[in-house]
Amino acid sequence: MQSHLVSFIRLLRSHDVRVSPAETLDAMAVAATLGYAQRERLRDGLAAALAKTPQEEAVFQHCFNRFFDRSLSDFASTREERDTAANEQDAPAGTPVASAEGGTEEFGGAGAESLLDATAASDAALSELLASPLLQQLRNNDSTALNLALGEAAAGVGLSQIRMFTQKGQFTRRMLDAMGEEQLRRTLAALEQSQSPALEPLRRYRDILREQVRDYVERQYLLQAEGQNARFMDNLLSHTRLSNLEHRYLHRVHELVRQMARKLAERHARKQRSYRRGRLDMGRTLRRGIANDGILFHTHWKRVRKQKPQLLAICDVSGSVAAYAKFLLLFLYSLQDVLPKVRSFAFSSHLGEVSELFDQYPVDKAIELVNWRYGGATDYGKSLQDFARLALDDINSNTTVIILGDARNNNSDPQLDIMRSIYQRSRRVIWLNPESRRAWGTGDSEMLRYLSACHFAAECNNLTQLERVVDQLLKINR
Amino acid sequence: MHTQDFPQLASIEAIEQGFESFGYICSPKIATAVFLAFQLRKPILVEGPPGVGKTELAKTTALMLDLPLIRLQCYEGLDEAKALYEWKYGKQLLYTQILKEKLGDLLQGADGLAASVERLHQFGDTFYSEEFLEPRPLLKAMQQERGAILLIDEVDKSDYEFESLLLEILSDYQVSIPEIGTIKARVSPMVFLTSNNTRDISDALKRRCLHLYIPFPSVRLEERIVLSRVPDIDQQLRHQLVQFVHSLRDLDLKKSPAISETIDWARSLLLLHARELDADIIHSTLNVLLKFEDDINTVESGLRELLPRPAQS
Repeated sequence: MQSHLVSFIRLLRSHDVRVSPAETLDAMAVAATLGYAQRERLRDGLAAALAKTPQEEAVFQHCFNRFFDRSLSDFASTREERDTAANEQDAPAGTPVASAEGGTEEFGGAGAESLLDATAASDAALSELLASPLLQQLRNNDSTALNLALGEAAAGVGLSQIRMFTQKGQFTRRMLDAMGEEQLRRTLAALEQSQSPALEPLRRYRDILREQVRDYVERQYLLQAEGQNARFMDNLLSHTRLSNLEHRYLHRVHELVRQMARKLAERHARKQRSYRRGRLDMGRTLRRGIANDGILFHTHWKRVRKQKPQLLAICDVSGSVAAYAKFLLLFLYSLQDVLPKVRSFAFSSHLGEVSELFDQYPVDKAIELVNWRYGGATDYGKSLQDFARLALDDINSNTTVIILGDARNNNSDPQLDIMRSIYQRSRRVIWLNPESRRAWGTGDSEMLRYLSACHFAAECNNLTQLERVVDQLLKINR
Repeated sequence: MHTQDFPQLASIEAIEQGFESFGYICSPKIATAVFLAFQLRKPILVEGPPGVGKTELAKTTALMLDLPLIRLQCYEGLDEAKALYEWKYGKQLLYTQILKEKLGDLLQGADGLAASVERLHQFGDTFYSEEFLEPRPLLKAMQQERGAILLIDEVDKSDYEFESLLLEILSDYQVSIPEIGTIKARVSPMVFLTSNNTRDISDALKRRCLHLYIPFPSVRLEERIVLSRVPDIDQQLRHQLVQFVHSLRDLDLKKSPAISETIDWARSLLLLHARELDADIIHSTLNVLLKFEDDINTVESGLRELLPRPAQS
């Protein structure tokens, strides 16, 4: 049972629940204390030891139901099936249920059974086959032993390594081989040639076996590979250029971006106050000393309250960056959800504030609205003027301005002076450009000129880069 | 703590019944967590929305086991001097003043500074002994003869540094004091930590604890809770009010009413001799249930849909 628990924990890990070795030991202790008899109780207990957040607990419940459903109640369910099969058989005699696994012991299958035995008496290969443990299990409908054999075969062929659905066939084949299906197959081929009457019942056993193995592999695939696949996918998505992402992965990216924004906000929203050693708060120290006859036991140090950075984000939504804009807006949206002071602006030919839109509407609607209102041909000069009118007064030494855009200005006036005044007033100006660094300054790109008015500029066209840049940005702000 | 000392904790059913006799109706999940915490000697980290009975759980456990409840309320800036121990500076000072003359006697006949210091050393660290130690809640919990229930309330309000301070106590039930050494708990206390999830607790702390999430209870459980806390209330009214509270929790409110508010509300309805929920009585008592003006407005505007239909009542 212990190895069972370990494989359950492995399953949890593949579903992004972090379980440390110490917690594994805890889980063992929990299982030992509670016993395996009561499922609900075991579930509650293991949840307390393994799942440490409500989200993790939801995942835990899902995994637990799946995993222990199979291993704890499988036997019972098969028996139940057998019972129902038997019952159904009792009522109408000629129903095809007779082909079900359990039907063999009843009168419908009795003839076939004796037929098998009779043929075996004259056929050495068949009698040898019937004596094999595999056929014994199948004939006696011993699902426990069969399950055990399945488990052994699975361990033998390394079924837990299954990752892709394309491997299912391969593993099924290997499992069958490991369980000794070959003998069954050979005998079947021989029977087919001799057109023996025992062919039919034996063939049925083969089908049952195959079905069992196929189901087993399928379940293992679901258990092992599901979490892995999702992670593999996420990894892939976060390294793909945003403009190349296919539409059907959008919702997944959505989720990724939100996770990322939350992670960043969590990491950086922690501490607002820090103690600065070295500068004594004399007044307080003296006051505290009064109780001790004026002797200064407690020193009190001055502390500084850190202000949260104010973030102004400007996003280009014109045609040339349309593919990126969607994600950048998504990121802005998520950021606004998690950081308290974010104002978002969008522009192409003119600029406007979209913070309210983001507050009011769900993300899809908001992005659609922004694109509709502010989409068009790019004019950085005009947009910067708009921005200066709207927000320049609010920029102070605690403000970070992030600009998301390709700086392609259609050869009109870049209004570098406004950019410079933003630069001088703010704490930081950060430019995230979806184009690669080599393309900066080519054609109508004003990037190199704007670069002089940025504290930091980076190429940013996939999620990993975006995360790295924003992380760095928040770190500097602290 | 051993099982034979506390028959109340011998099995999960015993815990459920014990809690119930003290008016705390709990789900099997909660009882399981308490049972495991006791058997495995691990702290429990209790999370959940405010007012679902996280603190109450610790209090009831203390009542049931007849152990002292030692409570440490966390807040920003809480440090070891307030949580763990402190030296009694005043007493130390006073003693040095009183003993000034005594010191003169002691040092009589000592030649030079080196000899005086040498002689002083013979008396050891008198001023840094346990007599001058002021135990704060955490240390106090370690010193109890029969064990104790230690409640570290709202641990999410404390600083990250404080969490690290807790680690030694939670995993080994001991406190290290540089001047004295390590003080180990005589009987390891049962520790409850509560958190309202205002921030994430560090993994290191979580790993040392069992985790218990208490959600809002189901209708049936909440009815039982109300029954045990406000036994005089009419059964039909009880059903109605719990249903009403549950429908409120589905709304998008700033703060959903918790169990404590349901109980308060049941008490106020009882005081007002209400027989049945109707718009008037809800209107006049809604402020017991909801704590924000916005929420009250939201609910009042949609009261018609929320009210139990006459056919049911």
